[in-house]
Amino acid sequence: MSFISVDFALFVTVALILYYVFPKDYRWVILLIASYVFYGQSGTDNFIYIAVTTVSAYAAAALIEQMRGRAEAYIRDAGKSLSKDDKKAYKQSAKKKQKIVLVLALLLNFGILAYVKYANLAIAHINLFRLTHFGSTDFIPFRSVLLPLGISFYTFQTMGYLIDIYYSKYGRERNFLKFALYVSFFPQIVQGPISRFGQLAPELFSPKDFDFSRIRSGFYRIMWGLFKKLVIADRLAGFVSGTMAQKETYRGFYLILAIFAYSMQIYGDFSGGIDVAAGVAEMFGIKLAENFERPFFSKSISEYWQRWHITLGTWFKDYIFYPLSVNKTVLRIGKSVREHKMPALGKRIPIYVPMLFVWALTGMWHGSEMRFVVWGLFNYVFIVLGTELAPLSEKICRILYLKEDDVIMKIYRAGKTFWLMSFLRLFDISADVGDAFTAFRYVFSGWGTFDIVNIYENLNLPMEDLIVAAIAIIIMFAVDMAARKGSVRLRIFSLPVPVQWVFLSLLIVAVSVFGYYGPGYDAASFIYGAF
Amino acid sequence: MDRIIEILKSVHPEVDYETETGLIDKRIFDSFDVVTVVGELMDEFDIEITAEHMVPENFNSAKAIAELVENLEEE
Repeated sequence: MSFISVDFALFVTVALILYYVFPKDYRWVILLIASYVFYGQSGTDNFIYIAVTTVSAYAAAALIEQMRGRAEAYIRDAGKSLSKDDKKAYKQSAKKKQKIVLVLALLLNFGILAYVKYANLAIAHINLFRLTHFGSTDFIPFRSVLLPLGISFYTFQTMGYLIDIYYSKYGRERNFLKFALYVSFFPQIVQGPISRFGQLAPELFSPKDFDFSRIRSGFYRIMWGLFKKLVIADRLAGFVSGTMAQKETYRGFYLILAIFAYSMQIYGDFSGGIDVAAGVAEMFGIKLAENFERPFFSKSISEYWQRWHITLGTWFKDYIFYPLSVNKTVLRIGKSVREHKMPALGKRIPIYVPMLFVWALTGMWHGSEMRFVVWGLFNYVFIVLGTELAPLSEKICRILYLKEDDVIMKIYRAGKTFWLMSFLRLFDISADVGDAFTAFRYVFSGWGTFDIVNIYENLNLPMEDLIVAAIAIIIMFAVDMAARKGSVRLRIFSLPVPVQWVFLSLLIVAVSVFGYYGPGYDAASFIYGAF
Repeated sequence: MDRIIEILKSVHPEVDYETETGLIDKRIFDSFDVVTVVGELMDEFDIEITAEHMVPENFNSAKAIAELVENLEEE
């Protein structure tokens, strides 16, 4: 069942009615049933994957807490008969056992994720290797199961929970069914956000009274999400893929335009999808974590990644970057380099080494092909360069009498970040690494024959699509700009009711009239739904 | 406390650490800054900061950092 379908609208309506009709204590049960019904629509074969994750994480959390409880009770009971050092040693040995449970659960769950995401790629490589080296055509068949819905998202969310339990950040969820809801909550299963238990659990399990303003606000957000998805992303999709498919013909200006258009497409697609998810959740009185904060206004790539797909970035920061940066081996290497008269390099090791892992993994999270890893590593290189060249850039600014907060500097920096991020996405829209570099080369050719007078003649985009997409993008950025001073929806709701109706009607008309419902394109699918 | 503020000032001299309570929440410190500060703290106070201490609550203010250091020194 897609987010953008009559079925989904009916499904949410029924779920909402049942949710608010039932007594507060049982409302989470409605959400659990709804989530499993929704999940089942994607194929009942997939239940096994989400079930294994739910059961294994629940059991591991219970085991870790039980072991910790036993160790604490032992130390407490022993009282003064144990020395301080003995207590410390006992605690450490208990922690080690808990770590084994944690690691086993992580291996199982990330193993499943790796299997469903990368097995076919591995099989393809093995088959190719056997063919080229041994001439064997006895191919291993590909596995046929499609990627289970939301597996990257719910695996990360659930493993984050388990690591938090290991670190005693909060107590585990003892009710198995409530925990199952945390793993499977339907609005966020398709493409996130990747929630944290500490944030989502109170929202799920402390239901709020029915309030029409929440339904209205959620509806606005859903419509705004559909606007971004259907009017911008889907309208540009054909132009982007068509131009990329014939990049040799469209080299130069048109290719650059397609690259920038893809940035708009993926932002509209992903942030629009998140808006729909957040809007649906809001109708149930549930606030989801925000995943975007006007990323295209970022002054550097590092800042961009704090504002784009925020919940994935913070996941990697908290569970990969920080643990590695305080890892004893990494620290020891850093210290040893510092003591060998390279203090500047030594200081950077606990930052840049973990970051390299984060970016390689972020690349792999996005896809199994090499182009995604290369994309991740390019991000890494640009972030490192941005950090290392910051003093130089400050110096240049001083020489030119420019200040950090000058409007021109802000525009320059945001423009540069947008440009770089757009070009990096070539890896996303190309068939492989070589293809991405070919596309990059084509950007610089074809300018000799570029005909500015007949610029539109050679554009692979019908005039009406161009006009609609351009106006919609301007509206999207205007709303993003306005959101800097607080929620745009709240401001609309403070206007007189007739004016509010005008806004809502315009939004509905825009989505239904200008949304792209053309043939041959699956408006229902989201790019991030495939991750 | 003075030494902690000195370390913090070496990363972001412009912040008033006596009053600021949102170093992480307000994104005044990014992850680079946090790791730099953690490295300095470990060297200066001979303590072991591990992954489980790496939560925003421990780094949001100079006071929170001082409490973390104090707790770890006792261990």
